[in-house]
Amino acid sequence: MKQRILFVVVTLFVLASMILTACQPAATATVAPAPTEAPQATVAPTQAPAPTEVPKPTDTTAPTAVPAPVFAVKMDYTEEPYAAQKMEAADCTYGGNFKSIESVDELTVKFTLCNPDPAFLGKIAVNAFGIYDRGYLDNYGGDAAKINENPVGTGPYFVKEWVRGDHITFEANPAYWGEKQANQTFILKWNKEAAARLLDLQSGNADGIEDIGTDDYATVKADANLALAPRILNSFLYLGFNVDTPPYDNEQVRQAFSLAIDRAKIVSDFYPQGALPAVQFLPPGVKPGYTDGYTGITYDPVKAKQMLTDAKFDFSKEYTLSYAERTRAYFPQPTKIATAVQAQLAEIGVKIKLDLMEWAAYLPAVRDGKKPLHFLGWGEDYPDATDWYDVFLTGSSKQFGKPFDDILAATKAGGTTGDVAKRQAAYDQLNKLIDQHVPLTTIAYGSTALAFGATVKNVVVGPYNENFREMSKEGGQIVFSQSGEPVSLDCADETDGSSFRACDQLYDPLYRLQFGSSESKPALAEKCTPNDALTEWTCTLKKGIKFSNGAAFGADDVVATYARAFDVSNPNHKGDTGVFQYYKDFFGPTALNEPKK
Amino acid sequence: METTVPKLIADTTFERQSPSVEALRRLLKHRSAQVGMVLLGILIICAIFAPWIAPYDPIKPIRTATRRSTPCIHFLGCPANKEQHIMGVDGNSRDLFSRIIYGSRVSLKIGIQSIGMAILVGGLLGALAGFLGGWLDNVIMRCMDVLMAFPGILLAIAIVAVLGPGLMNALYAIAIIEIPIYARVLRASVLEVKDRDYVTASRSMGASNTRLLFTRVLPNAMTPLIVQGTLGIATAILSAAGLGFLGLGNQPPTAEWGSMLSEERNSVFNAPFLVFFPGLAIMMTVLSFNLIGDGLRDALDPRLRGSGA
Amino acid sequence: MLQFLAKRLLMLIPVVFGILLFTFALTRLVPGDPCYVMLGEKATKEKCDDFKKRFGLDKSIPEQFIRYMGNLAQGDFGTSIVDKRAITDIISERLPMTVELTFFAMIFSSVFGVLLGVISALNRNSWADMGTMLIANMGVSMPVFWLGLLLAYVFAIWLKGTPFFIPPSSRLSAGVSLVPLAKIWHLENLTGMSRFLLQLISNSAILNGILTGNITLVRDALWHLILPATAVGTISLAIIARMTRSSLLEVLGLDYIRTARAKGLIERLVISKHALRNALIPIVTIIGIQIGGLLGGAILTETIFSLPGVGSAMVDGILMRNYPVVQGFSVVIAIIFVFTNLIVDLSYAYLDPRIRLE
Repeated sequence: MKQRILFVVVTLFVLASMILTACQPAATATVAPAPTEAPQATVAPTQAPAPTEVPKPTDTTAPTAVPAPVFAVKMDYTEEPYAAQKMEAADCTYGGNFKSIESVDELTVKFTLCNPDPAFLGKIAVNAFGIYDRGYLDNYGGDAAKINENPVGTGPYFVKEWVRGDHITFEANPAYWGEKQANQTFILKWNKEAAARLLDLQSGNADGIEDIGTDDYATVKADANLALAPRILNSFLYLGFNVDTPPYDNEQVRQAFSLAIDRAKIVSDFYPQGALPAVQFLPPGVKPGYTDGYTGITYDPVKAKQMLTDAKFDFSKEYTLSYAERTRAYFPQPTKIATAVQAQLAEIGVKIKLDLMEWAAYLPAVRDGKKPLHFLGWGEDYPDATDWYDVFLTGSSKQFGKPFDDILAATKAGGTTGDVAKRQAAYDQLNKLIDQHVPLTTIAYGSTALAFGATVKNVVVGPYNENFREMSKEGGQIVFSQSGEPVSLDCADETDGSSFRACDQLYDPLYRLQFGSSESKPALAEKCTPNDALTEWTCTLKKGIKFSNGAAFGADDVVATYARAFDVSNPNHKGDTGVFQYYKDFFGPTALNEPKK
Repeated sequence: METTVPKLIADTTFERQSPSVEALRRLLKHRSAQVGMVLLGILIICAIFAPWIAPYDPIKPIRTATRRSTPCIHFLGCPANKEQHIMGVDGNSRDLFSRIIYGSRVSLKIGIQSIGMAILVGGLLGALAGFLGGWLDNVIMRCMDVLMAFPGILLAIAIVAVLGPGLMNALYAIAIIEIPIYARVLRASVLEVKDRDYVTASRSMGASNTRLLFTRVLPNAMTPLIVQGTLGIATAILSAAGLGFLGLGNQPPTAEWGSMLSEERNSVFNAPFLVFFPGLAIMMTVLSFNLIGDGLRDALDPRLRGSGA
Repeated sequence: MLQFLAKRLLMLIPVVFGILLFTFALTRLVPGDPCYVMLGEKATKEKCDDFKKRFGLDKSIPEQFIRYMGNLAQGDFGTSIVDKRAITDIISERLPMTVELTFFAMIFSSVFGVLLGVISALNRNSWADMGTMLIANMGVSMPVFWLGLLLAYVFAIWLKGTPFFIPPSSRLSAGVSLVPLAKIWHLENLTGMSRFLLQLISNSAILNGILTGNITLVRDALWHLILPATAVGTISLAIIARMTRSSLLEVLGLDYIRTARAKGLIERLVISKHALRNALIPIVTIIGIQIGGLLGGAILTETIFSLPGVGSAMVDGILMRNYPVVQGFSVVIAIIFVFTNLIVDLSYAYLDPRIRLE
């Protein structure tokens, strides 16, 4: 009896909701969305030729190439018209590099730095420096949680839906200022397993995938329906030492370990094509920095053993080699590589015990200097040597123990001048010093590749981005499977490639990296010109650009974006983690108005 | 008066005759169990005589071998000048067959030890709970609920993090996760058995609780536990593989089937033999335990002894 | 009966509290730092000190716990460290996925498991017995991700282009979208429990599709569930088959079965009305355990098939030290499990009147 009542109740409930749904005024677009459908506009009549937000009447921009704009994203706040903005530091002692950022006029921004920065244009082109609308930031309080719900940018796409854990659907932004998008829809999915991604590609479930497994290169090449797209990203794997911990406090021991590793074999066994065994600290793509023709790192096991014997190395003890099982372009098969190195060291009599750790516990332990022999790596954020030397050799963490004075001096010499020849000279010296002192020894220069279906046209894969907006395929929809879900769409406060790929479709920085190269070219800016000392950068902005919700783009938005991220006292300084890592890394190390410890 | 009666009584008094001998005899005659025992026998031989059976060292890379090369068996036509690797070579240039043979040691150890611990502790707890009932039952089962509702992986990570990485600690973690299952199963079984006639009969004859528990209830309540136990060994081996994914448990380069599988999981399509053979080894091990478990169940079934215990 | 129910439900509170305490302590004591995970190779100590302050992780563990419990009492599960979303939102997204997977996997495994077990028990020691048990055993011996990848390969690559093609991953096909019920029914302004419940229903693709008449959505969701449910159900199938077989064999050996047969009852009635019903107790226990386990998330299956369920949320939370997520899901899983156990125990009483509910 009770069962029957329950059954009746459930049936009535289901019927009621079906009736409710059927009586909705408009179609509930659940499949094959119309191009101009806004996420919030599902209920309103779907015929929306008129823009949902009209630009202010005083904003009489001359007719540009962009036709009568339709704004796909609804503006849910009052747009703030242009007003001069300025972020200023009292002086240059606070520990960061921005002296001031100000909007000279509606289309001109001036950055004043404390110290010259030759890499400025490369830095501001990183995805983290995408520009937000000032009113948007004020209204959303710069809160990543809110931004994720309704991201607004000047980019070629807008977010139609983010089905958490599954995919993000991007639709072409009709108000985009740049070249017309070659496809209408871009769907970003993710799957942690390389084999599953490959399966998706082979079955047609995805049109492109990233991070092919080393052993899958052959499969992709052999398949006529697929095309390999190698990515040349400067990255390296290194074996690090803590120079304060015995036996690694002896320079001979460190040099011996470096000599004992057969890098060529490791690369040929475990790395995909395009990867190279290391010959010196930096990968060849970092210029100035890489010393042409210099081979400081060699393989000589006999000499290694001799050196260890001379240094009175204790061969009877077992030494721990730590690493984490986390696949990266520089470390494609961690356990296999670690096992191989273990075996190579065993050949010269060194007993190694492998210590496989979980990433969350590994990194803090390494940074604290607790792992005297460890594997780690690095992938470049922007194409300049300061993104390499300054990270490792300046003693910013206890990872390698006490830094070496001569190395410190040479690093500083190379990073503070704009003269390319002078920098290279300093770095030539620095490379030699590194091979002498060996706080770390580079093992391999990494490489990775993406793969696309042969039906996707015009694929260009660069070191940092892909040209999804230019790729075309019959049907106008491109599906891409990456290795993880974006953390958030507030990329000013993110560092992971998964988020950056998503943000790349939504936002533009002032400069951007040309597809297929590491050359920085103007994007939202018309041009940025420095003064002779490289301390003042004046950027003129392009005219008539609108955000995806109709807000006008101007210099105040640029200042607001940078200030929000770099100035801790800014009311919109919320983001996701609140660290705004790239701003701090590139223009810090201390942010503006950071509270004293 | 001729007294043939004592002889008959001797024949029909089952308690005098060793029930375990009876059970063993039945087990040995059971068809499935025979297959299982043969398989397990092979495994045990592999484990004990590994250094003699395995042609190569399981840990040292072989310099003359091509990594990831497919199996080469001279008997089946592989040219004699090529090195023989019955199951192929793995990603670190080690002979897969040798690693599988040595892996039997680790896997058998994991399976038997962890489940042994879990059965002992869990079974006892469950039996007490089911037999004594009342508030003790409640408390024990609620504790089991907490443990069971506890995400196994978190517990495993915690134990390993606190005790340090390694095989033994992973073993403890697996055992602890499995305890509630055996507690539950045995409790359900004990609940069912304790109301049976022969138990009531013994109780009315004045048997103490302990005697009742160990001589009447437990032997008859054990069979679900045995069935579950044999499956538990399989789960334990697979759990170890799962822990391997997270960087816990078995440390490389020791050969262990589960971590061998985890390491090669992206090779399913381009070097399937690297995944096939460890998986096959796991399957054979599990199968053997299950078949033996089947046989044991049938052999220990009191109803098969004749006119009820 | 009501007393029993009330007592068991009351027990829920200490159980959940116990789990929370345990989870809290363990996650904090396990080494590792969410800051380093989030900031990656670029993390430094100073950045992480700021990070800790921001998320209240610099306070002592007991203080953090008290704060957490206080919030929890008001229904606030906190926000995820990684993406600052409310934990309740994340739960309402992940739980329906797992429930769907569990539901279909259990239907598959229970039906076929019991069937195989019955066939096996009735034809004891015959080839049918050995055959069915072999199939069942193979299912439990195969590592689930191996089976999953194999199934995916067969149905997504070999059978590509045929009508038998099944997609190898994800929850929905690209282009099929899940519109929240709140939008469709204009209920955007709900808060609290009703909002949570609405989201739970809304995020279940199948329920959502049924309630909005979107058959495409239902069909697509079911299609994507076939492979994962089969892969994960195969293991439960084997376990259930074995338990059915052994349990049924035990019951068939009992006297009253002989009596029923002697009375002249048809074999079918003997099995279904007399034997099965009493054999069901251990089977129900096992099914209950399986459901509980699956609801905790079939982690490996979810990874291979890229399904956003509870398991992957938990593992990601643990690996990234996303404490609020781990805690929140522990509570949810605990509650589900206790309820499942309760139902299993209740069914004991239904199936065997001799077992009194104490």
